[in-house]
Amino acid sequence: MNTTHTTPALVTHDLTKRYGGRAAVDNLSIEVPAGVVAGFIGPNGAGKTTTMAMLLGLVAPTAGSATVLGSSLDDPASYLGRVGALIETPAFWPGLTGIENLRVLATLSGRDPQRIPEVLDLVGLGGRGGDRFGEYSLGMKQRLGIAAALLGDPELLVLDEPTNGLDPAGINEIRRFILELADGDRTVLVSSHILSELEHVSDWLIVINDGALLYQGPADGFLGRVPTMIALAPEHPADLDRLAALIRADGHEPRRDDGALAIPVDEDDATALAAALNKSAVAHGIVLAELHTRRPSLESQYLAAIGGER
Amino acid sequence: MIAAVRAELVKVLRRRVLVITAITTIVFAVGSAAVVLASADPAGGRPSGRGVTVESLSGAGGGTEVFTTGVSFAGTFLFVLFVGVVAVEFSRGTFRTMLMHQPRRLHLLAGKTTALLAFAAAVLAVTEVLTWTAARLLAPTQDVATGRWLSLDSFGLAVADYGSVVFWVSGYALLGTMLAVLVRSVPAALAIGIAWAGPFEHLLQDAWGPAGRYFPGLLLEAFVAGGTSEVSAGRALLTVAAYVAVAAAVAGTVFSRRDVTA
Repeated sequence: MNTTHTTPALVTHDLTKRYGGRAAVDNLSIEVPAGVVAGFIGPNGAGKTTTMAMLLGLVAPTAGSATVLGSSLDDPASYLGRVGALIETPAFWPGLTGIENLRVLATLSGRDPQRIPEVLDLVGLGGRGGDRFGEYSLGMKQRLGIAAALLGDPELLVLDEPTNGLDPAGINEIRRFILELADGDRTVLVSSHILSELEHVSDWLIVINDGALLYQGPADGFLGRVPTMIALAPEHPADLDRLAALIRADGHEPRRDDGALAIPVDEDDATALAAALNKSAVAHGIVLAELHTRRPSLESQYLAAIGGER
Repeated sequence: MIAAVRAELVKVLRRRVLVITAITTIVFAVGSAAVVLASADPAGGRPSGRGVTVESLSGAGGGTEVFTTGVSFAGTFLFVLFVGVVAVEFSRGTFRTMLMHQPRRLHLLAGKTTALLAFAAAVLAVTEVLTWTAARLLAPTQDVATGRWLSLDSFGLAVADYGSVVFWVSGYALLGTMLAVLVRSVPAALAIGIAWAGPFEHLLQDAWGPAGRYFPGLLLEAFVAGGTSEVSAGRALLTVAAYVAVAAAVAGTVFSRRDVTA
């Protein structure tokens, strides 16, 4: 992550898109610093794709304003040359090969077609560029979409559900790929409804639901909103009260959780405290059947943020 | 706009497209020459509309009259072709892809249309030469004299006929583009296009004679046929030009303002 830039890559002010009476995006005000990998999170239908489509000049906002790389949303031509994007499903000409498809787009945007082999290699399609797009698997189509987004070596990369249709190995590869792309000054805005995909790549998070903002800021800040928990359970349920008393005597307040106890702790203290509790339990003749640390996941945080709607 | 023209030509000037186009052109040229010559009225005097006579075909412009007459029967096909080529870019989502690489929407649409028209113009030039050649070879079988087909006048008439056909195709192309931009769905656009350019206008003309003076498909047919009893070629040209201007304005306005969600 490189946050030394002063101009944010993306800023929106009360950005709104209505379809009839329904707000797909509702007064969304966000700011994405330059040089970060920003995870854009929300369930299906939350407004992620519509927001991205507005930022890319495909959909006109009903209200609000935005700047992309310092330029107004009103003039997409002034910034789209520095933006690469993959939005919704990758759409290409099925009768053309991968190389021909990229040549059409390179010609259209006035970019150097010499870069086509390089971007195909980058996404792992180096050996299949001569095959027709119509013969590609879903994963290969997705890769070609990312290759098209990289044609201009963009400052800002907008990827909408880039792992759609990929197998686990492909998902892992795209995750690694996003981190590689984010090296240096490039900003990456990547959306997904599969939260675990973004957990390990994002250093900035935007969380929306029903078109409205729930959280934006550093990923650590979002993950830190729910404490790390130590969960422990005695072998014999009859020891549960004694174990709770031991924990209280150590200065912690345990919560009962279905035959087990859970203690909120600081992330940094979790390992040492778990070891101390284990020793104390053994010293008092209590055998622990379960002892583990539950660190907050993006999914648990997200569910907490939307009030457990899912 | 030049970039959009060149990008469209990357799609069009592929071996597969060129081979299919070449085969279609040859078949069309030979087939239409044979049909037009065989259907020529042996009686003197040129009837109105598409009718051709042995006498008119034996004139200086006879060779290219075969071409214009043959092409005029392909009007609905050309209209539908343009409707499909543009509408499929919406339904396939490729306009979305292109707009992320060329956000100037009018440039994109104008470039695409220009490239397709340039390709069509080139194909028509080849078709004219091939049709003329096929007609010259087949003419003796129908007692059509070809002695004047290589006169100086014939070259002027060939150029004029070519210009008429290019204008006629451009009219269909822009009307088809407008329909595709408005409807965006391939099946819906094709259904409307075929129904309109095919039966609808002709049924209307049967029911109401003056329809030929007002409806774009009938006017285009009248223009390429050199005028009809209902409307002269000049008036048809001017009216079609007005239609084309409105179609271009509507297509441009809608395309530049509407959300691209597919």
